[in-house]
Amino acid sequence: MGQYLPVVALLIVGVLFGVLSFIASRLLAPRRPSVAKEAPYECGILPSREPPERFPVSFYIVAMLFIMFDIEIIFIYPFAVARQELGAFAFWEMLAFSSVFFLTFVYVIARGALDWGPIARARRLSDAVSSDRTSSSTIRRVGLEGRLDAEQAA
Amino acid sequence: MVRLLALDPVAIGDLLWTPLLIIILKVVAIFAIGLLVTMFMVWFERKAIAGMQNRIGPNKAGPWGLLQTLADGIKLFFKEDLLPDRADRFVFKLAPYLAFVPAFLVWSVIPLGGDFSDGKNGIVTWFGEQTRVQLADPPVGILLVLALSSIAVYGIMLAGWSSGSKYPLLGSVRASAQMVSYEAALGLSIATVLLLAGTLSTSGIVANQDGFTNWHVVSTGVVPFIIFLLAATAELNRPPFDLVEAEQELVGGFNTEYSSIRFGLFFLAEFMNTVTMSGIIVTLFWGGPQGLFDIPIIPGAIEGTIWFIAKVLLFLYVYVWFRATLPRFRYDQLMDLGWKILIPMSLGWFMLMAALRLGRDQDWNQAVVAIVSAAVLIVCAGLISMAMKVSRANREREGATF
Amino acid sequence: MELVVFVIAAAMVIVGALGVILRPNPVHAALSLVLTLFGVAVHFVALEAHFLAAVQVIVYAGAIVVLFLFVIMLLGVDRTEDISIEPFKVQRPMALVVGVGVIGLVTAAVSSSRDAIGRGNGLEIPTVTGDNDSNVRQIARSVFGDYVVAFELTSVLLVVAVVGTVMLTRRIKTGKGES
Repeated sequence: MGQYLPVVALLIVGVLFGVLSFIASRLLAPRRPSVAKEAPYECGILPSREPPERFPVSFYIVAMLFIMFDIEIIFIYPFAVARQELGAFAFWEMLAFSSVFFLTFVYVIARGALDWGPIARARRLSDAVSSDRTSSSTIRRVGLEGRLDAEQAA
Repeated sequence: MVRLLALDPVAIGDLLWTPLLIIILKVVAIFAIGLLVTMFMVWFERKAIAGMQNRIGPNKAGPWGLLQTLADGIKLFFKEDLLPDRADRFVFKLAPYLAFVPAFLVWSVIPLGGDFSDGKNGIVTWFGEQTRVQLADPPVGILLVLALSSIAVYGIMLAGWSSGSKYPLLGSVRASAQMVSYEAALGLSIATVLLLAGTLSTSGIVANQDGFTNWHVVSTGVVPFIIFLLAATAELNRPPFDLVEAEQELVGGFNTEYSSIRFGLFFLAEFMNTVTMSGIIVTLFWGGPQGLFDIPIIPGAIEGTIWFIAKVLLFLYVYVWFRATLPRFRYDQLMDLGWKILIPMSLGWFMLMAALRLGRDQDWNQAVVAIVSAAVLIVCAGLISMAMKVSRANREREGATF
Repeated sequence: MELVVFVIAAAMVIVGALGVILRPNPVHAALSLVLTLFGVAVHFVALEAHFLAAVQVIVYAGAIVVLFLFVIMLLGVDRTEDISIEPFKVQRPMALVVGVGVIGLVTAAVSSSRDAIGRGNGLEIPTVTGDNDSNVRQIARSVFGDYVVAFELTSVLLVVAVVGTVMLTRRIKTGKGES
């Protein structure tokens, strides 16, 4: 435990620093609270909507997948540190373990669990948006028809 | 007292007066260095970005504006401390500590110097006691950094939640999902380093990197370093991954409702994390205090510190450079980069390195091992890209808008 | 020294555990859980199980409680609730029975194996050779040696958890309806 003593000491010093700063700020700073100051920040207007009550389920999936990878990591670390004395068998074990993981991960991706936001449109939306429309072609198609100055010149 | 499992010789055995004094000195020194360096980092960032944008930057307070951060910090003490009336008072007050204290504790495992040449393993003698130029060398080593970064998530998450306001809440949910995602990539890229170093202790990792070809950035084949650098940037919520405080959308992100010194602590934590993360990168991949060549005249112990500072400065500059150059990611791009590229890549690279090392130990033909591994990795990459196509096709069919 | 650490850690565990069941706000309860997990981590450190202590913080505090908090925020149930209202009538008597049962079991287990703990339980006691990583190496030998099957089955367990999550949350609509 002796090795953790300096860490604990630093922890205490850090917390003390925070507490002392608060006390100093309490003594030095003015305290004139008002309703407007304590209202939720909304660029100066009155908040018209409550903060969101619910969040997309994707955040939950990310947290779940993170647990999975965290456990993978904590199994990988002992293997990495003790690789030399463990030998070949442990490598095959790790490979099997990681393969199962990887295939699950592929399934998760295929299922769309890690997709966020709307899909990027690869399909052409309409003729109005296409690669063969260049500035020169567009201008030519509009032509001079209906343009007063052009008609006068003609 | 039982003999303690330890690598820092000063903390082994009975704590006599001299070791205790050294420990106290170290704690005070680390604390002072931590605050000073963070102050310097804020100045450095402002000055460097100003230079990149053809501005002058802070130049009034002190020589070259060096004391600007101090002035800003003192100003914060005199600002009114607001407690929003919708806030969860206890958690609102707790959150700055959860952000700030872990940032400080990371310092304790970074080797800041020491002579690692000729198998001296970075042990120096102070006042007749052998010790290391690092606050502590606990057996968990680098895991302490991971643990602390998982605590830091709470600071941001709870700060946003407890404010009782919508922008902080949105910012903190984004931030915690982002930090959690990139922590996985971070952890997996560290695994490759551990594979080579064979130890968790940070001083052990540094001792393993004698000579440039043994620096882990070279010997792990650059890829884990790049993954780590990207994941660390995201973990720090620094540009181009600063979606947490995307000003245009979220005002100030998770700390919108914080003012006065509470905000100051978040700010301090953010910049201190930048410095410590650079220190961790240098420790893990760039040899820590190990130098490329001997600097004449200067004794070995100080030389290590000089090398360390030089390398850390390099990475601090890289972070500033990122900030000045790169536009911010979109949230789906951020998640795609983290989950679909960095994580599979770091896992694949780890298995590749493990296979190559195993092949060397077992006297297999290295070329065959490399070819087989490469083939397996290509198949895996193919599987992932197929999975992405399937998902895409499904979503297009659904007209997905979630 | 060891006694002081033990008392502090035990206090953390108990205060946290009480907080989990007594705090009316779910987020506060989750934070109390973090305190409990930290106390357990400190106990691990005191027992020289450094790797386990780190894992305790990284996995439990860093991942699982974060998941809890996400769920709490996800469902918007992060408001203070009146815990004197009881949705299921049998819940509290059942909890009491189970709690007393667990205390009984633990007491019985400890009292019957007191000698074994004193003898070191026949386990190999780690040799402290100044090797920083003897702890993690020993775990590696156990996991990749004696408990291979359990280790591989863990992956299956995780697969079940993740696939279940994804199946429940991401249903692919078969119809061609534009939403």
